[in-house]
Amino acid sequence: MGEVFWIPFWILIFPGFVFTFALGLVATYLVRKVGALVQYRVGPPVFQPFYDVMKLMGKEILIPQEANRAIFVTAPLVGLAGVLLLSTVLGVAAFWPQETFVGDIIVVIYLMVLPSLALILGSSASASPHAAVGAAREMKLVMSYELPLVMAFIVVIIKSGGELSLAGISSHASVGSISGFIAFFMSLLCIQAKLGYVPFDMAEAETELGSGVLMEYSGALLAVWKVMHAMMLVALPMFLVMVFLGGFGSTLAGLVWGIGKYVIVVVLIILIKNTNPRVRIDQAMKFFWVYCGIALVIAVALATIGNIYDIAWL
Amino acid sequence: MADSVCNFLCITVFVPMVVGFALLFSPGRWKLLPKVLALLISALVFGLSIWIFTFDRYGFYWPVLQIGTLDLELVLLVQPLGKFILLFACGFGLLITVYSLKSRAGTDKSGLYYGSVLLTIGGSAGILLCDNLLFMLIFWEIVTASLYLLITTGGKNSNFAATKSFAMIGASDAAFLLGVLMLWALSGTLSISAISIQTDSALSIIAFLLLMTAAITKAGAMPLHTWLPTSGESAPTSVMALLPAAIDKLLGIYLLVLIVRNIFVLQPGALTIVLSVIGAATIIIAVMVAMVQHNLKRLLSYHAISQVGYMVLGIASATPIGIAGGVFHMLNHAIYKCCLFLCGGAVEQQTGTAELDRLGGLGKKMPLTFAACLIAALSISGIPPLNGFVSKWMIYQGLIEMGAQKAAPAAQLWPLWLVAAMFGSALTLASFVKLIHSIFLSRLPDDLKDIKETSAVQWIPMLLLAGLCVFFGIFYYVPVQKLIYPALNITATTTALGTWQSGLATVLIIVGILLGLGILLVGGLMAKKVRIVPTWYCGEVQDNEQMIIPGTHFYKTVSSMGGLRQLYKGQEKGYFDLYDQGGRLGFGLTAFLRWLHSGVLPMYLTWVTLGLLIILFILCDIW
Repeated sequence: MGEVFWIPFWILIFPGFVFTFALGLVATYLVRKVGALVQYRVGPPVFQPFYDVMKLMGKEILIPQEANRAIFVTAPLVGLAGVLLLSTVLGVAAFWPQETFVGDIIVVIYLMVLPSLALILGSSASASPHAAVGAAREMKLVMSYELPLVMAFIVVIIKSGGELSLAGISSHASVGSISGFIAFFMSLLCIQAKLGYVPFDMAEAETELGSGVLMEYSGALLAVWKVMHAMMLVALPMFLVMVFLGGFGSTLAGLVWGIGKYVIVVVLIILIKNTNPRVRIDQAMKFFWVYCGIALVIAVALATIGNIYDIAWL
Repeated sequence: MADSVCNFLCITVFVPMVVGFALLFSPGRWKLLPKVLALLISALVFGLSIWIFTFDRYGFYWPVLQIGTLDLELVLLVQPLGKFILLFACGFGLLITVYSLKSRAGTDKSGLYYGSVLLTIGGSAGILLCDNLLFMLIFWEIVTASLYLLITTGGKNSNFAATKSFAMIGASDAAFLLGVLMLWALSGTLSISAISIQTDSALSIIAFLLLMTAAITKAGAMPLHTWLPTSGESAPTSVMALLPAAIDKLLGIYLLVLIVRNIFVLQPGALTIVLSVIGAATIIIAVMVAMVQHNLKRLLSYHAISQVGYMVLGIASATPIGIAGGVFHMLNHAIYKCCLFLCGGAVEQQTGTAELDRLGGLGKKMPLTFAACLIAALSISGIPPLNGFVSKWMIYQGLIEMGAQKAAPAAQLWPLWLVAAMFGSALTLASFVKLIHSIFLSRLPDDLKDIKETSAVQWIPMLLLAGLCVFFGIFYYVPVQKLIYPALNITATTTALGTWQSGLATVLIIVGILLGLGILLVGGLMAKKVRIVPTWYCGEVQDNEQMIIPGTHFYKTVSSMGGLRQLYKGQEKGYFDLYDQGGRLGFGLTAFLRWLHSGVLPMYLTWVTLGLLIILFILCDIW
């Protein structure tokens, strides 16, 4: 019965909407500030991401004439709901590990597709040719990083001994082995692509497609997309912390160290973002399928050998 | 009571068959009678199948003849797996009959069309109820023949497609016959419930492979899949929705489950690897081909192949949850693929084309078709909380559990099967995003401005199936625990590995959507303005047609990748089509024979002498 009381708290306050929203804006600030520091700029004030969302809320909403309005308006909402559920599931598994809540790691991997799918459908519904090109790129990006992500997932499953629950997986820090480290690093790149950050930002590509997938969005609808994106900045690094880095632990020290791990992952993402140029979509596909694929085949093989002969560091 | 049930078993099988057979010969002028009869009888059979479902074990025996040890009797048995699949097979039969009332195929050659539909229903009821392998083979042939007839009701190339399908499935039926004979030699009986054979001798392994060939060809798995896309292109979509999408899958997978679980005692070893390789290869190769298709019906056909891979993989995992997942996927696939074909049929009927690059923006013109198609498309791509996700999730767990048995060689390769399955799912999504974009979103071409929604007899079946996708997704424990576990004799407690609280997840997603709506409302209140504006073309004035980015170009990046490009080219030329290659081989052989028959007498004499010499050598043991 206790769970029935907790569920609204989880989804609405912590680790759900309010927490993820706030932390997401802070993380967005971090991305912009560190990015500015890398480029020898001053960067925005702490509340800038919040001001941006508020400003967008006050702008009028423009809907393209030829658009499929139902899909155009619902898509951002579905994306937001998907990320919200994702971060809540991850958060509950991190801080209430004894509870079984919503789903296991397979469910989480599938939930991570929802935001991209919503983005694709929304932009495809907007009837703009630029958005269509963006949608095609986003979809190709999804299918390219899905292969390494699945293989990294297999490494994790082997390392944790067939465990499927998030709490169970987070008690094994698989990054401590060679195969686990490869899997972690490749997943980090996949997360980079999921976030749509340079070098994998070809779906939005401001300079060539004029924001591509988001081209026709404005006002409060665009604000929802921005909020969704900010929340992804919480959920996706948290996924890496939970799955590869051993989670947040149950003690205070573990919690502090867990937050440290989250910050490290975010900073890694920011550094990759700021030190690389945008690649073309065919380059990205080749990168994920061929290079990441080969690296992960090696990782899976190492993990299997390690599993058969009980060598933990493989 | 028992007697009446037995009689009803007979009615379910034979009434549709007899009426269907009679309808085949009805004059072409009679348009209405076949429709009415088909509707009545398919409704009756569906009702009966529901009634049969409530019974546990009833049988109907009719000793046909007895020669020596060959005891041929027609046995119709109500069995857990059979009655469950029967329920859905008859349901699909009824739905398609209703849908066809307004379709072109059902009107032009209505006697042939509805007659074959009834034959299909009766034949599949026979397969699912009978307990004798020889009779099962006869019913199996009836379904094959009615598929042939149904495909010929299509457009201009339909004869070629029908012949190809009949040749390929017919060849696999020959394998079935051979397998049945081997089984008889091995066990001395033809009764399915009495056979249980170890796969340790060469004969039993060959028998298994033969029966497996029949099962996977019917279901449409690789390498004997090529009849499916060919017929998909020229057969009426309602036929595709009925047979290759729904009933052929049900029957093929039914036979596969039967041979894996009942007829043979499968040792985890080489045979499991064969099944897993077929499953994994089918998923990936077919979906890669599907992704680059330009024709709506071909695209759907390739997905009908690709999805079989999941079912085969689930069954090959030989774990309770994997097999249950495979059977559930069979059911789900029948539901959403049937729905997709019906939507595709509706689009083709309203617009007159199935070429993706000539469609677009129909979401506003045909909102109901769009809704059904979107749900089914997301479902087949495995988006939670829809039904396709649940069965895939179960199959993945089966594969992971299979990996836990370290000893078996097929188990050690589990990462391979799992990557194929999960990556295949992403590619499926990609393929359906292209489909949704090209047909329903994007922009409306100028010549489709006056398109109307289809009639109610067509959209009601579609929405019904889409609703079933949602229902089986959110309340998946209803079909899984009420239908599938009892059908497979699995106890629910031993299976669950992961967690998926689909109801809770759905509620939370709705909460998320409401929160988003709240943000929108606040924004709307602050801005107080929503404007409809023309789409932004960077200030250029352009024709509508110039602004359409068709989805067919989405994955050119993939098909032009080094390595993949050559494979795609080979596939287009039919290098990997066993039918084409078999045809080439046949032509080569006949060319050789023709060359031998030169009409020159000395040549013939030489051959005769040579032959005599060879016979002499063999008979006299000269070496």
